Amino acid sequence: MDKPDTQTEEGRADSNGIGNIGRRGMLKAAGGTALAIALAGCSDVLLGDDEEVVDVADVPDEPVEAGLQTFTEGPASVLGLQAQFGAEEAVRRINDAGGVAGREIELDVVEEGDSWIENYSRFVDDGKEVTFGPISSGGHLDLVGEVEAQGVVNIATDGTVTRMFEEELDDPTYAFRFQNHDVMEAASAALTAIEQLGADEIDTYANINPDYAFGQDEREIFNATIEQLTDAEEVYSGFPELATDDMSTHVTSVVSEEPDVLFTSCWGGDATLLLSQGQDQGMMDATDIIVGPVLYGSANDFSSGDIEGNIWSGSRNFYWDFPDSDRWSPGRELFDAAQEAEDTIPTAHYMSGYGAVTCWATAVEGLVDMLGGWPEQEQIAAALEGHGFYTPAGYHVMAEDHQCYSNAHFGRLTWNDEMDIPVIEEMTIRDPREVSPPPGEISVEWIESWS
Amino acid sequence: MIELPLFIDLGDAAVHTLNGIFRGSILFMIASGLTIIFGVLGVLNLAHGEFYGIGAFLLTSIATFFVVRIAAPTDPLSTAIFAAAIVIAVLLSAAILIPIAGAIEATVIRPIYDRAEMYQLLLTYALLLILVDTIRIIWGSQPVRPAAVDGQQIHAALDVIPMEELFGFQYSSVRIFTIFIGIGTFLFLLWFFDRTKTGRIIRATAIDREAATAIGVSSDRVFTLVFALGGFFAGFSGALYSVSAIPATAEMGGTALVLSFVVIVIGGLGSIRGSFVGAILVGVVWSWAIAEYPPAEIAAPFALMILVLLVRPEGLYGAWGEIE
Amino acid sequence: MSNEDQSEEKETIRLMKGLHLTKPQLALALVGLVVVLLVPEIEGFFDNLQLDTFHNGILWGMAALGLALLLNKTELVSFGHAAFFGGGAYGGAMLVNFVGVDSGLLILFAAVFFSTAMAFAIGWFVADYVAIYFALLTLAFGQLLYAIAIGSPTLGQDEGLRLRSGGEASGDPPSLFGIEFTLQQQGEYRLVLYYFTILLLIASMIVMYRIMKSPFGSALEAIGQNRTRARFIGIPVERYVWGAFTISGFYGGIAGGLYGLRQLSIGPEGTLYVFVSGEILFMAILGGFQTIIGPIIGGIVLTFLLDNVRFLTEHFELIIGILLLLVVFVLPKGIWGSSEDIKNGLMTRVKNPAQLGADVGTLQKMLINAVRNAITTIKIILFGVK
Repeated sequence: MDKPDTQTEEGRADSNGIGNIGRRGMLKAAGGTALAIALAGCSDVLLGDDEEVVDVADVPDEPVEAGLQTFTEGPASVLGLQAQFGAEEAVRRINDAGGVAGREIELDVVEEGDSWIENYSRFVDDGKEVTFGPISSGGHLDLVGEVEAQGVVNIATDGTVTRMFEEELDDPTYAFRFQNHDVMEAASAALTAIEQLGADEIDTYANINPDYAFGQDEREIFNATIEQLTDAEEVYSGFPELATDDMSTHVTSVVSEEPDVLFTSCWGGDATLLLSQGQDQGMMDATDIIVGPVLYGSANDFSSGDIEGNIWSGSRNFYWDFPDSDRWSPGRELFDAAQEAEDTIPTAHYMSGYGAVTCWATAVEGLVDMLGGWPEQEQIAAALEGHGFYTPAGYHVMAEDHQCYSNAHFGRLTWNDEMDIPVIEEMTIRDPREVSPPPGEISVEWIESWS
Repeated sequence: MIELPLFIDLGDAAVHTLNGIFRGSILFMIASGLTIIFGVLGVLNLAHGEFYGIGAFLLTSIATFFVVRIAAPTDPLSTAIFAAAIVIAVLLSAAILIPIAGAIEATVIRPIYDRAEMYQLLLTYALLLILVDTIRIIWGSQPVRPAAVDGQQIHAALDVIPMEELFGFQYSSVRIFTIFIGIGTFLFLLWFFDRTKTGRIIRATAIDREAATAIGVSSDRVFTLVFALGGFFAGFSGALYSVSAIPATAEMGGTALVLSFVVIVIGGLGSIRGSFVGAILVGVVWSWAIAEYPPAEIAAPFALMILVLLVRPEGLYGAWGEIE
Repeated sequence: MSNEDQSEEKETIRLMKGLHLTKPQLALALVGLVVVLLVPEIEGFFDNLQLDTFHNGILWGMAALGLALLLNKTELVSFGHAAFFGGGAYGGAMLVNFVGVDSGLLILFAAVFFSTAMAFAIGWFVADYVAIYFALLTLAFGQLLYAIAIGSPTLGQDEGLRLRSGGEASGDPPSLFGIEFTLQQQGEYRLVLYYFTILLLIASMIVMYRIMKSPFGSALEAIGQNRTRARFIGIPVERYVWGAFTISGFYGGIAGGLYGLRQLSIGPEGTLYVFVSGEILFMAILGGFQTIIGPIIGGIVLTFLLDNVRFLTEHFELIIGILLLLVVFVLPKGIWGSSEDIKNGLMTRVKNPAQLGADVGTLQKMLINAVRNAITTIKIILFGVK
């Protein structure tokens, strides 16, 4: 980082707010910039042969101020509130266990709206040490440049568009994403359809995806995968407006084409609407299988009549009842916690918030142990790269491309009469390496290289 | 099977068209209120879509209240009782909007009739914001549907017309009913404004407020009545939409409002006939646009509106602000 | 208007041709200028005052200023002004993404050119219409542009476009006046842009003032008062409205272009959607569209509210709705337009505190009356006259 001249240094402090002056001052005192470069480059600095390393800031007494921007209202609040509940549960558990290196976390939540940049800047100005969210992929794209410029670590909860860390971002430092990216669930959907019907039995398939970047991304990858592995052709592709109030025309079109497979990445109210209008018009009979990566995200809204038929759903990186709760309880405990605190079935989006917070907290805890003091943003960012940690969802790795990799869940969506909630059975878990290219490769090209 | 791509499947064509008419019927019931209110009061009520939203949410609560207390439909008798309960729920939801809309008119809208257009817009926009958040405070910010009956949505439980046997394609009976109710509302409004005394008084007030006042009409009451009537039909429409298991959201009013603008501009401001034709046209064009060229979904209604205005600047049944 | 009328009677200072200010006005203008220039310095002392919010507020205010020309003079309510704000933002972003330009000034030129051209084209369609038809038609054009932006993969659909170098999500900001900025120097970049904005703001306010005072402005006013009469006295009504519409699009373009340069990433939801048009309109009314400075104040105040109330309560729409309601009833001429009344009202109450008690009484009476009215009317509607 170049040393700016005095005038511009003033400008930076002014435009970033007073909270930042302190941070930068602390940074200089700790010789942080040099350290960060060293840290990012080679880890042997951590062993302590550099004098400056010893000179780290003490662990402050006050709590860690953290900010989460998420959709608390609007159609996407179906996802956003889950992320908020998950993040709050993680904070509760961390604080009950004594905090991060003794520091409790205080989480501020704000509606992301369409003010991603403003929210983040405000968080930074308010002295937040870490920021989480947003849910929106478009919002994340708005935000990453800001995060890289302002230098306070951000871990996006969702916004899973594949392109983001493959093409849009050139070697980011502070911007991360926790949830599995789309390729993992869209490819899993195609693999599930092939497993269930057999590659030779699939001649036609159709798509209904929400009309925005996420829906297009999911379709592109699903199509690439299924066309790579079968001779199927696409007979219909509809893009209903996001949060539409009527899908019947798309359903009619699919029913009339009678495809073998229907792929849909509709979520929230759109998923409920699609399935319920699908039931009205016999869409479940007209297709052999329906595969939807995020259908289970609407678990709290379904009634049993909505999900009759051969419907398979993904659950991103987390399903509360896998492994079976008779054998392994952490998932079930999270389910109970969510039921108790919010009267909700935790979905993969619950984990979006839970995991993002846990990812940061575990990395920092480890860093404090090693450094013997509180780390700087550069150090935390460097430590997050390659950071592996456990949550009730299993093992996660934040890879060097800043995309976190976790297992991909996919199974049959059915109704559990005993609990009177929708559940996923016959769950198949895929290792990230099965459904996502190694960091640095482009997903679609990777899929097209399969034989 | 031999494919005949040259011919459109008649069943599909019918369903696409029915989908459009269904949406059009819903839109008509919202837009007619908007257009009448504009015609009589001269105020473009930006909060009108929220009446529709409130109607939808009220139905989810009232229908849920009934569903958990009444036996699920199994035989003709229980089906009839269940259907009656749902009809009552719909009417009740709409009826609750009469005092709500009436009170809003009498307290905050009445003082601004003489103010410039932009203040009326600002005021009703403020009402829109307040009502949206009120909905969120009462019903939360997530989509809501009425409770299911044995896992079925209400409209599925009431699927009594054997469409498949009669016409060879599957279609929800409740949607067919909704279409008929839309047409019925249209005929009722025509009759009301043409044949009844109250309707004629309202029209007289719309044409010349001072003259009407001079012959002893209380314009305050007429205005409140019209506003409440508009609220009733918007709520009615929202309740009917909810019966079809379309999740109610706090934001649904905004979308409905913008589309209602399109409808009443196509039809001609103040024209009931126009808003009926406009609504059905917007619905059907929307549905066929999706079927034939999906990307046109959002743009289709607006393109249609611009097209109509270029050909007939005053709308199809241009009445220039008078009820017709 | 009252300020300007008075200025002709009192002793005035001539700043330039057609721009005269009284001494107090000049002093006020100077104080305003100093405050605006000092915002970056003082933001650190007030937690809730942020340069970002202030800057964006000015930009929205500039768009509202363009709209105020239509509102004030021709009495036409445009409900699709986001088309020009968003059009400007997209115009600039397209130059970055499709031509690869990274000069801030060129981007701004493209923005202004694009939105002015659009206003010119749309103006041709809408100039004949009046009243609510004008509002709805501009709304339709605005929504059509939104639909195009959100449906077009070239324009990034819901994700919009980046104005950073190469259109990348984490590229460097564009250059300004030949100064290159790195990603880390984004703060400096925005500071330079802020001062540049102030410069353009002053220029555009002076220009708008002169337009409003010009024969063209008077002609527009005649059109606003009575179209038929204006036509009789030989004013080419449609052509003048078209001209005013284009000018207001030009203002939207400057504002939108600067907004794009400030945000460095734009999307359809935040710049083109119908509610964005609504917000611009309400900023003009909120501040007072009868004055030059009102729309700017309205822009700053509403942006401040939108940015801050969100952090205080989940139900920020409710709060903002109630505030707007109060504006309609208590400040009919907007914040700035009512400043005289506010001052007088405050002075009376300072001199005579008993007045406050009377205020509460009046308010109570008004409320009770309104509620009683409402109940009576509803009773009559529901149960008929008894």
